[in-house]
Amino acid sequence: MKAQRVLVSAAVGVGLGTLLLPGAALADTTVSPASTPVGGTVVLTATTCNPKSGDALFRVTGPDRDQNVRSTTAAAGGGLSAELFTAGFTLGTYTVAATCGDGSAAGSATFAVTPIGGAPAGAGGGTGGGGSVAAGAALLGSAAGGALILARRRRHAVVAATA
Amino acid sequence: MSRDRFGWALVALLGALGLGMVGTGVTVLSSNPPRPSGAGTPGPARPGPAVPPLPRADPVAVSIPAIGVDAPLVAVGVDDRGTLEVPPVDKPTVAGWYRHGASPGETGNAVLVGHVDSAAGPAVFFDLGRLRPGDTVRVSRVDGRVASFVVESVASYPKDRFPTDEVYGPSTSAGLRVITCGGRFDRSSGNYVDNVVVFATRIP
Repeated sequence: MKAQRVLVSAAVGVGLGTLLLPGAALADTTVSPASTPVGGTVVLTATTCNPKSGDALFRVTGPDRDQNVRSTTAAAGGGLSAELFTAGFTLGTYTVAATCGDGSAAGSATFAVTPIGGAPAGAGGGTGGGGSVAAGAALLGSAAGGALILARRRRHAVVAATA
Repeated sequence: MSRDRFGWALVALLGALGLGMVGTGVTVLSSNPPRPSGAGTPGPARPGPAVPPLPRADPVAVSIPAIGVDAPLVAVGVDDRGTLEVPPVDKPTVAGWYRHGASPGETGNAVLVGHVDSAAGPAVFFDLGRLRPGDTVRVSRVDGRVASFVVESVASYPKDRFPTDEVYGPSTSAGLRVITCGGRFDRSSGNYVDNVVVFATRIP
């Protein structure tokens, strides 16, 4: 009986703690999109920060970079957001750690600054047979035409000689 | 009569030349890079067997037994336009490793790139489109370790719809992406219109 009472008290305690400290329990930071070509923009969002507690601070760390970005808008789905323009960023993976206005940590996320587009990895040396086939066919056609003309001429010559 | 003989000689010459050109063209056409069959589902890496990630180390060689690839690797970055660099075209048997990304075996997606062909003919990743799910890729690293990967999917993408997230995006596991060119060769731009991408995950 006593053990049961202790268990119930513990459960109530955990439940109350979760309710009273939602930031700690559900801390979350997102970066959208998760990768961007260099020069693109990503949106940083601390989904659990309460705008009434003040601006969130996003610490962006990665290759050759350690900068703080302050939230500028309330996110549509809740929390606070900031836009990050990646012009001049070194390519690579970055970590974003958010802190809410009340000083509570709001989790972290990563994103990648990537090359632009695909890769130019071919010179066409494995293709191009089409032009060769067409030119070859034209030459064969010319040869056939010439043969026909020569054959006719010979037949005319034979007929003229026997007449 | 001598005019006729000259004519027949010309006809024979044209015919021989034509046959030769058609033969060469057909041979080259039949050696176009293979297209991926579309097997497998490209996208975020599926959770594979739990393999502890390796520390960062530069890769030095890649081996893909299914298509007979055994090539040295050099580190590549991006060019002035921000596009992924490729190894020098005069070294078509060398492949590149994107040095700003993960190293093979490290947590994240390591990216390898190589030419499909050069002006002289097929290059290191000419047969990449022939790979199938289940084929293996082995990458030797400078620290003496070998990171092994299994192919999950192979797909072709127009270069203007390159799957940046799936190739370079963050990942919680060790993955490998192998890139080359594919599709039609656009002579006006001097480039292929597509990229072929192999998606692979690490195995023990």
